[in-house]
Amino acid sequence: MANMAVSRIKREFKEVMRSEEIVQCSIKIELVNDSWTELRGEIAGPPDTPYEGGKFVLEIKVPETYPFNPPKVRFITRIWHPNISSVTGAICLDILKDNWAAAMTLRTVLLSLQALLAAAEPDDPQDAVVAYQFKDKHDLFVLTARHWTNAYAGGPTTFPDCDSKIQRLKDMGIDEHDARAVLSKENWNLEKATECLFS
Amino acid sequence: MESIENNDANRDELIIQQQREIEKEISDSTPLVSEQLPLTCLQAEYNGDEVFTDKIQELSKKYKFIRRTRPDGNCFFRAFAYSYLEYLIANNIAYQEFRELAEASKDKLVELGFPSFTLEDFHETFMDVIKRVCPINSETTEKVKNELHTVFNDQGYSDYVVVYLRLITSGKLQEDAEFYQHFIEGDFSIEEFRHQEVEPMYKESDHIHIIALCTALGVGVRVEYLDRGEGDQVKAHDFPEGSDPKVYLIYRPGHYDILYPK
Repeated sequence: MANMAVSRIKREFKEVMRSEEIVQCSIKIELVNDSWTELRGEIAGPPDTPYEGGKFVLEIKVPETYPFNPPKVRFITRIWHPNISSVTGAICLDILKDNWAAAMTLRTVLLSLQALLAAAEPDDPQDAVVAYQFKDKHDLFVLTARHWTNAYAGGPTTFPDCDSKIQRLKDMGIDEHDARAVLSKENWNLEKATECLFS
Repeated sequence: MESIENNDANRDELIIQQQREIEKEISDSTPLVSEQLPLTCLQAEYNGDEVFTDKIQELSKKYKFIRRTRPDGNCFFRAFAYSYLEYLIANNIAYQEFRELAEASKDKLVELGFPSFTLEDFHETFMDVIKRVCPINSETTEKVKNELHTVFNDQGYSDYVVVYLRLITSGKLQEDAEFYQHFIEGDFSIEEFRHQEVEPMYKESDHIHIIALCTALGVGVRVEYLDRGEGDQVKAHDFPEGSDPKVYLIYRPGHYDILYPK
């Protein structure tokens, strides 16, 4: 990796470590290897959102051309959100694509992602299924997002109804995550989910 | 659905990858800033096209040389910086004034709300470049000009200069937002325009970028427009209007290069 990128990342790393948000445990960053090309970020789900109480882990890859090109960021923790793929964790956020500017930092990225969790943009979706549910069946969207936060990110609220439906599918030999994904997509209609899986 | 979505994600990746490949091809084949070339070298590009050939002929009565910049969307900023520093190398008083202005520019941007953390980085490199091209006396001018050429072809330095000029431009747009709002087409707010069209690298420059930068730095720029417009004359425009130009650029749709008057 080019020297400029490395020295910049090192300084940014310190910036995040010293930031207010670290003190409040709202963002975190750590090294994955010694080369500074890959980092692991973590953001706390913002209060008053379905993600509250969850911790979301991010994969951050720093390109050689950093800071002139944006870091590649993806959610490792599974999440139910219109602008984040529920399958791959890929993120649709302008500053990670065309609107990246060299004056931005890892801290800016983490805070922007946190802001994205608080204010989804369903009209510019990454995950069309989630976006549709967000607009069409918002209550179900909130429930599903909170359930995923509980299942994958350590969120506090359990949903016995969801869990029992997932268990039903598991009893039929379906993998837990696949069961959850299908039920989420089918608005927790067990019949439709079963149909979708076995037809 | 999952597979469709995966395809979408892959398509995004592919587009980005293809874009990178095109960028790489351009960067492998063209230097960030070229040597001085005779203006007539443009003729070869428009071989047989009368409109352009006539206009280049006219232009060559006023200008001797052209210096090409890499067409990477940063060409205006790079051409501007190179050309103005080249002028300053031969004008010590103006150089000293500019150095002071550049030194003070950081605090101004911080006041406007730019994050000092990243700003410092770019400002430092920007000042470093300015110091490296300090004119000592008329005998060393050529040597310093060589230094300028070396620095501007070192991608790290060169791009840092571009970033800093983008930030100065963005700062000016913010400072005089009311005035610049009139230049923006569509529903963009100044804020959105700055974040989407000014601050990111590789975004092309329009009149509004030029006016804001020239005004912020107090530098006159003349742009010669070589296009299919009427007449056999190349139209020139001075930014800011009525200023005494120190930087001469040629614009062909989508691209700026540096000109050297006779």
